[in-house]
Amino acid sequence: MTDDKDVLRDVWFGRIPTCFTLYQDEITEREAEPYYGKDSSVSFNVVSSLPSMMLYTLEWNRILLLLPRVSYLTLVTDKVKKHFQKVMRQEDISEIWFEYEGTPLKWHYPIGLLFDLLASSSALPWNITVHFKSFPEKDLLHCPSKDAIEAHFMSCMKEADALKHKSQVINEMQKKDHKQLWMGLQNDRFDQFWAINRKLMEYPAEENGFRYIPFRIYQTTTERPFIQKLFRPVAADGQLHTLGDLLKEVCPSAIDPEDGEKKNQVMIHGIEPMLETPLQWLSEHLSYPDNFLHISIIPQPTD
Amino acid sequence: MTSREHQVSLCNCVPLLRRLLCDAPWRKARPLHALSRYFRSRVSPSKMAEEPQSVLQLPTSIAAGGEGLTDVSPETTTPEPPSSAAVSPGTEEPAGDTKKKIDILLKAVGDTPIMKTKKWAVERTRTIQGLIDFIKKFLKLVASEQLFIYVNQSFAPSPDQEVGTLYECFGSDGKLVLHYCKSQAWG
Repeated sequence: MTDDKDVLRDVWFGRIPTCFTLYQDEITEREAEPYYGKDSSVSFNVVSSLPSMMLYTLEWNRILLLLPRVSYLTLVTDKVKKHFQKVMRQEDISEIWFEYEGTPLKWHYPIGLLFDLLASSSALPWNITVHFKSFPEKDLLHCPSKDAIEAHFMSCMKEADALKHKSQVINEMQKKDHKQLWMGLQNDRFDQFWAINRKLMEYPAEENGFRYIPFRIYQTTTERPFIQKLFRPVAADGQLHTLGDLLKEVCPSAIDPEDGEKKNQVMIHGIEPMLETPLQWLSEHLSYPDNFLHISIIPQPTD
Repeated sequence: MTSREHQVSLCNCVPLLRRLLCDAPWRKARPLHALSRYFRSRVSPSKMAEEPQSVLQLPTSIAAGGEGLTDVSPETTTPEPPSSAAVSPGTEEPAGDTKKKIDILLKAVGDTPIMKTKKWAVERTRTIQGLIDFIKKFLKLVASEQLFIYVNQSFAPSPDQEVGTLYECFGSDGKLVLHYCKSQAWG
């Protein structure tokens, strides 16, 4: 039987083949010569075995990249930025931002969440448009530097631990441990990250789980950004709460009637866990590096 | 008095009080809570170190005009806060659940200016950024000055985070306590 630890690796190394195209109106110079980097006939079946951070130039305004599901857009797109900035006039370049089918992509949401929520029912690769102008102030936060990403990431971790352990575990860590968590994420170092993160997945021997489960439920059909509430992993009688229990309590519309047709998908990391899965187990194994379970409720694809 | 004497005096508290009342005037100046741990004031020692202004003030004080149960901003030269209906001093709106306001208590950290009105009723959908903008205007800070908001004195929520969600998860005693600071206080 597969060790549960393998799940941690699978989650960490999940990748999404993504095609970045520069927004048409922002192409300000350069002859329209197609530039083919690697073999342009590479099929997407092969894509999953490609080294994750290599960049494949398909044309001069379009490149292919494998994005880590657990990371953040502005953390992993330096190459994209550098590549496109070469084809633009200096004065036209301001902060980079990304958009999918007209929706600006929030860099502070994990990549896997954005994909599951917005694009999982479409064919691969994920087609993202790159912009350098007209930053949508109302929709996106600015990302002035890597420090901003680190600050946001660490804040999420602290919020998660506030729910799990009343912040006791994360506050007991030294500054260098916090730094190791960030460096592990930034450099895609699973072992480095989990050497510290495992402490955040422990709980007192007398308990059956965390105090509360850090989770966020996202739907594109509602105005609210997400649902986040207090929810215990263990019931008063000692029974472990399941994913289904959570949804029934905080998002009942997500649960399809038993005899009706399936209307929704409940997705984490691109998979639909069974609703009977204990929430405590999900929190320990399927959380993102920020220690939150980011759950997408999306309409069942009609194909 | 030693702690032993404190414990002993608990049993004799009534006679002790009587003795005090008869004591010389300079002795009567000792605060009651110093005599026994059972007479300790409700405020914990660490809080006692704070300035008195940071204790929860209900906005029905008559100190400054307009701090009553209305939506009008206090009678200072502060410009009207943006969408003032979203943030008002202490009112409860009898609307539906999503429109209902939540109580926020703002506490200053370090040498950040203290707000005269600390308790506010805020719409659940108000974002942290909206609250930051409001506090900056209220304190007359320059737009370019930074302001950080912390929950539980441990994490700084994302600017697009809704206060209603934070209240659900981190509120206590019917309010959400937020610390604000001009510099990064808790990293």
